[in-house]
Amino acid sequence: MSSKGLINLIPLAGKQLLRHRVRTLLTLLGIGAGIFLFTLVESMQGAVSAVTGAQASEATLVVFRENRYCPSTSRLPEYYAEEIAQIDGVREVIPIQITVNNCGASLDVVTFRGVPPELLHRYAPEIEVLEGSLSTWQKTDDGALVGKNLADRRGLKTGDSFAAAGVRVRINGIIESPNAQDNNVAYVHLPFLQQASQRGLGEVTQFNVRVEDPAMLDRVAEQIDDRFRSGESPTFTQPESAFFARAAQELIELTRFTRWIGLGAVIAVLGLVANAVLLVVRGRVRENAVLQTLGYPDRAIAWLVLLEGLILGLVGGLLGAGCAWLFLHFSHLSFGNEGQIMAITARLDLVLRGMGIALILGGVASLYPAWVSVRRPIVESLRS
Amino acid sequence: MKAEKNFPLVRCAGVAKRYRKGSLWVTPLESLDLEVPRGEFLALMGPSGSGKTTLLNLVSGIDSPSEGRIDIGDIAVHELSRRKLAAWRARHVGYIFQLYHLIPVLSAYENVELPLLPDGQSKRDRRERVEAALSLVGLADRMHHFPRELSGGQEQRVAIARALVADPELLVADEPTGDLDRESADSVLALLRNLAEEQQKTIIMVTHDPKAAAAADRLLHLEKGRLLEDQHVK
Ligand SMILES: Nc1ncnc2c1ncn2[C@@H]1O[C@H](COP(=O)(O)OP(=O)(O)OP(=O)(O)O)[C@@H](O)[C@H]1O
Ligand SMILES: [Mg+2]
Repeated sequence: MSSKGLINLIPLAGKQLLRHRVRTLLTLLGIGAGIFLFTLVESMQGAVSAVTGAQASEATLVVFRENRYCPSTSRLPEYYAEEIAQIDGVREVIPIQITVNNCGASLDVVTFRGVPPELLHRYAPEIEVLEGSLSTWQKTDDGALVGKNLADRRGLKTGDSFAAAGVRVRINGIIESPNAQDNNVAYVHLPFLQQASQRGLGEVTQFNVRVEDPAMLDRVAEQIDDRFRSGESPTFTQPESAFFARAAQELIELTRFTRWIGLGAVIAVLGLVANAVLLVVRGRVRENAVLQTLGYPDRAIAWLVLLEGLILGLVGGLLGAGCAWLFLHFSHLSFGNEGQIMAITARLDLVLRGMGIALILGGVASLYPAWVSVRRPIVESLRS
Repeated sequence: MKAEKNFPLVRCAGVAKRYRKGSLWVTPLESLDLEVPRGEFLALMGPSGSGKTTLLNLVSGIDSPSEGRIDIGDIAVHELSRRKLAAWRARHVGYIFQLYHLIPVLSAYENVELPLLPDGQSKRDRRERVEAALSLVGLADRMHHFPRELSGGQEQRVAIARALVADPELLVADEPTGDLDRESADSVLALLRNLAEEQQKTIIMVTHDPKAAAAADRLLHLEKGRLLEDQHVK
């Protein structure tokens, strides 16, 4: 049978599927639901690896108060910044005051990062201002630069003012950064936040430190902690990804656990397609024998069965992964815990993966039915 | 090909077929010899269970004999593998069933097109052949009707067009009029008669109906797996 022959049979398989409309629709619904779940779970896993995956190029350290986990309990003197700056291998230091509206696990965390306004651009030149302007923000005491994900989630625009955690700010701009965390927070002036949150001047939550060379990350971290060990406020310094992994540990464990849901969804889809295609084959024993009598080789019969599984997988996958994409795109889902935020974004690659998996499942699930369709002698099937 | 004109198209020699039924063996056919010349319209009669369908299945290559040889044209069909048999059937035999066996979700046109699909012919070539076959059975105007919109006789004629579409030299028909009223049966028989006469098709038809048998050139009786009579009706 030629490859043209294989193609010629595709419309036939499609028409056969339309023969049992209700059954086909129910099967598609099931596949769609399974692939929807699978794609959501994959997106969550993707979000976790995006924030915790240490990259070889990682050059950022987070200095926190030793044995503290929530931003509200980590208190460090602001002047540490100058001392840290003198340590060998440190390129930039920025003191950060963090105020969070909710320190526990939540779907709607708003995090303010108070930083010295004149330092932000020097420290993080990769931050891009999408609308509004950096210089207006630098001149506005209660101004805020809002990360893109947070702005989308809360529907915020430049010129709006909004309040959270007892802090009211005016929005001077929306920012986007390759650094995932920046997209989930609002940057405000450090002195403003220190006063608004009644922390007092001179006190910050953490320092973010950029080192000159990623290879020096661990050595610089050690030196920072050594320096303040005997002081009144000992520190604990970690690479940013490890810091996130520790701070949001429960969140991450929970998210990792959802992997099983994804696996369950995949197995359910496999069973569903196999069952649907097997029913089709069982109900079409005589008809397949007629096709064989007309000269259809076994390969053509098996291919027709396989095609039905593949079409079910493709359409169901399109449905499920498409819905997952729409859902993630419009819901701006993000999980926060202890001030760390993980945004679950609609990623095209994961949507495509969902569709690909659905197609593969459709094919794999029809292998057995395809074999069933050709294993019996033609005359026996004709007599059935 | 002209030289072969008198050489029989179908030659069965010492053909036996045995089936296993649990611990028992059934022998529907035993040492059967049969020759069918090209262009002959042969009718087969016999009581139920006498092996008529079994014989058609062997001749059409959807089953293989337990013993003996079957030659169709210059092909030793009994020696072909399952895969080669399928390819051979596609080109050389048309099978017509009592119950038509059309696919209900496909139009008359699409049903007739079925045998041509795996071959990978272009849409245009297929269209030509399908339209020719449908004209031959007198249903060119019903091309886009679905089986449920056709009468039994018309359905059977669509099935005949499906058997004809690849232009095989041999047609086998298992009680093609068994499910039809007299009028439709007569028109199907006239069509088969015409295919033998005008298109030089070799036709083997199983029937229970003496009137149908009378449309054939020759009538054979199968009794307990053996051919009993050999009489020329025309
Ligand atoms: N695949 C098979 N497996 C087992 N037994 C079979 C098989 N095919 C045919 N038989 C047996 O062989 C015998 C002949 O069957 P066949 O169908 O050829 O009869 P027939 O002459 O066509 O009868 P009818 O007029 O009822 O159609 C029957 O006893 C039948 O049960
Ligand atoms: Mg029979």
